Amino acid sequence: MLQIIDLKAEINGKEILKGINLEIKPGEVHAIMGPNGSGKSTLASVLAGRDIFNVTGGKVIFKGKNLLDLSPEERSREGIFLAFQYPVEIPGVSITNFMRAALDEHRIHKGLKPMPAMEFLKYMKEKKALVEMEAKLEGRAVNEGFSGGEKKKNEVFQMAMLEPDLAILDETDSGLDIDALRVVANGVNKLRTKDNASIVITHYQRLLDFIVPDFVHVLYNGKIVKSGGKELALELEETGYDEIKIKADRS
Amino acid sequence: MKQENNIKNDLLNLFSEDKEFLPFRLFNESIKNIIKEKEIPTSKTEQWKNTSLDAIFKHKFELGKKINVPNQFVDTFSFYGSEADRLVFVNGFFIEEKSQISQNKDEIYIGSLRNALQTHKEIIAENYCKTGLCKHNFFTAINSEYSQNGAFIYIPDNVVLENPIHIVNFIHGDNKKVFSQTRNLIVAGKNSNAKIISSYHSLSEDFTLNNVATEIITKEHSNLQFYIFEGEGNSANLINNTFVNQHEGSTFISNTSTMCGNLVRNEIHIDYKGEHCETDLQGIYLPDKEQHFDNFINIKHSKPNCKSNQIYKGIIDNKAKAVFTGKVYVARDAQKTDAVQSNKNLLLTDSAKVFSRPQLEIYADDVSCAHGSTTGQLDQEAIFYMKTRGISERKAKTLLMSAFIGDVLDKIEISAYKDYVKYLLNRRLKGQKVEGLCSLQICPSC
Repeated sequence: MLQIIDLKAEINGKEILKGINLEIKPGEVHAIMGPNGSGKSTLASVLAGRDIFNVTGGKVIFKGKNLLDLSPEERSREGIFLAFQYPVEIPGVSITNFMRAALDEHRIHKGLKPMPAMEFLKYMKEKKALVEMEAKLEGRAVNEGFSGGEKKKNEVFQMAMLEPDLAILDETDSGLDIDALRVVANGVNKLRTKDNASIVITHYQRLLDFIVPDFVHVLYNGKIVKSGGKELALELEETGYDEIKIKADRS
Repeated sequence: MKQENNIKNDLLNLFSEDKEFLPFRLFNESIKNIIKEKEIPTSKTEQWKNTSLDAIFKHKFELGKKINVPNQFVDTFSFYGSEADRLVFVNGFFIEEKSQISQNKDEIYIGSLRNALQTHKEIIAENYCKTGLCKHNFFTAINSEYSQNGAFIYIPDNVVLENPIHIVNFIHGDNKKVFSQTRNLIVAGKNSNAKIISSYHSLSEDFTLNNVATEIITKEHSNLQFYIFEGEGNSANLINNTFVNQHEGSTFISNTSTMCGNLVRNEIHIDYKGEHCETDLQGIYLPDKEQHFDNFINIKHSKPNCKSNQIYKGIIDNKAKAVFTGKVYVARDAQKTDAVQSNKNLLLTDSAKVFSRPQLEIYADDVSCAHGSTTGQLDQEAIFYMKTRGISERKAKTLLMSAFIGDVLDKIEISAYKDYVKYLLNRRLKGQKVEGLCSLQICPSC
């Protein structure tokens, strides 16, 4: 589904990604871990198409297309979803209007007609139940005045609405208490199918107790320095990143 | 100075012929002295320092003539079907045959000032020139002396009007540079309740100057909503002065939408004649290209226990310029005054400009006054966030802009009018051509 080949990216002349290689197949969950500043969020941003990062080398192939040629909105319509670490507040735009606009664009891209209003409301209700999102949130402006937990739930709700092929969860666990974490993780798990895939970016192992990955990769200093199964996350929890850092620095 | 005098004389010469202006001097000591005294504002005039009229008075004007307006254009602005009363003016002339008045029963009067002089002379004499408008500046003075006609609306005590009244003002150059003046008087009796829309449109692409003056008196415990819609042409200039006197316990709400025009200067002056009044002044302005929209508010809290609120929001595109001045004066014994003011602006380009000037003058000590002014750009983070959900950049911007201005439009209480303004706004924000906004082309066959 996704192939990242020797991806390099910089911001303001500073190289952050120094040659990332990763392949993701349908049905797989990949966790990307690593110390602060290793480039985890940059990788997520580059995949979503944030233009402050300058791609200086490499290729990203998504479902046979050159992802880097597409605008952020085209990537979304093709099936990429980024759950933000810090979801943005949009005062005055209700969640309903926001999702309506997004879903319409996705449907038009697929050659479908916009969903009739009644059907849309029903669809939205189903998806809200899936992520246990309170009804009161839908009338409110997107993320405005939301608690940390509500914001993250709203991200998973949007993911449920848009049914992406590849979801990238950027530090979805940050700022969540254990109950909110469980709700958010349950939502993500319910959306898992044999045809879609996700990249779970996290600093801590805790989230991976709830969203169990097939593969774990350690990103350090702009490169994937170690890959393994889900047991690698547990190992890191015990040893920390120091050993990996020392090893990588030496080579 | 000499040049300025020439401009003034040229304008005054327009009135020298013995034309039939409203015979207001019957009620007043002549305003001619005031006209002599007052000068056309220049950039040195404090309250006009960000709005220059120089480019307008490079042109020589002649007085607008009475021109009929095709039905189709009147229909374009029938915001709410056939129920509403409608007064139609072209270049300040009353077009009676296109007007439609159904609520004229009992003592209610909805019609032209000129006609009303025959039946309601006493009420007009009682209220005309009593708000301070006549002597305010050069434009209000010449309007007071040389107006063609205008609307007179009288709502007697205890009358509640179900349907809104719409004053439709067209300007038509007929291939000439035209100057026109309209004078309105609105008297809302004790405990009365009414909604009035006053809208401005161009019927030609000519360079025009429309000098409008409106006096409003809200008697004790009345409630008046006054909506102003400005959608004149790209070469049309509008000076629109509204003076309101509020009596004890009355509520006055205005909502101004400035959507098109070359230069627009709106002034709203509120003065309290009694306690416990409420005022809510709302406005949106969307200058584009090289348009210049100026809103000047002056609220005089001369009595205690009154509450005023101002909320004005603007989206400024291209090389356009917006000016907002919100003046609040609280007299020494106007205790328990509650005055709030907010002005928010969104600049869409680097060359768009806004001048926002809150002016608070407070002489009482037990008051609550707040003001806030912000100017910013569209939130790029929010646009990126929306794009990652598949929303196009254009749509994302439209959503943000409508959200920015939406709360002001949501305050409009005439739902058909609200829908109309929202529809125009959405088309404008999407960059689509809007039928009926900016100019109405006269088709050869009509």
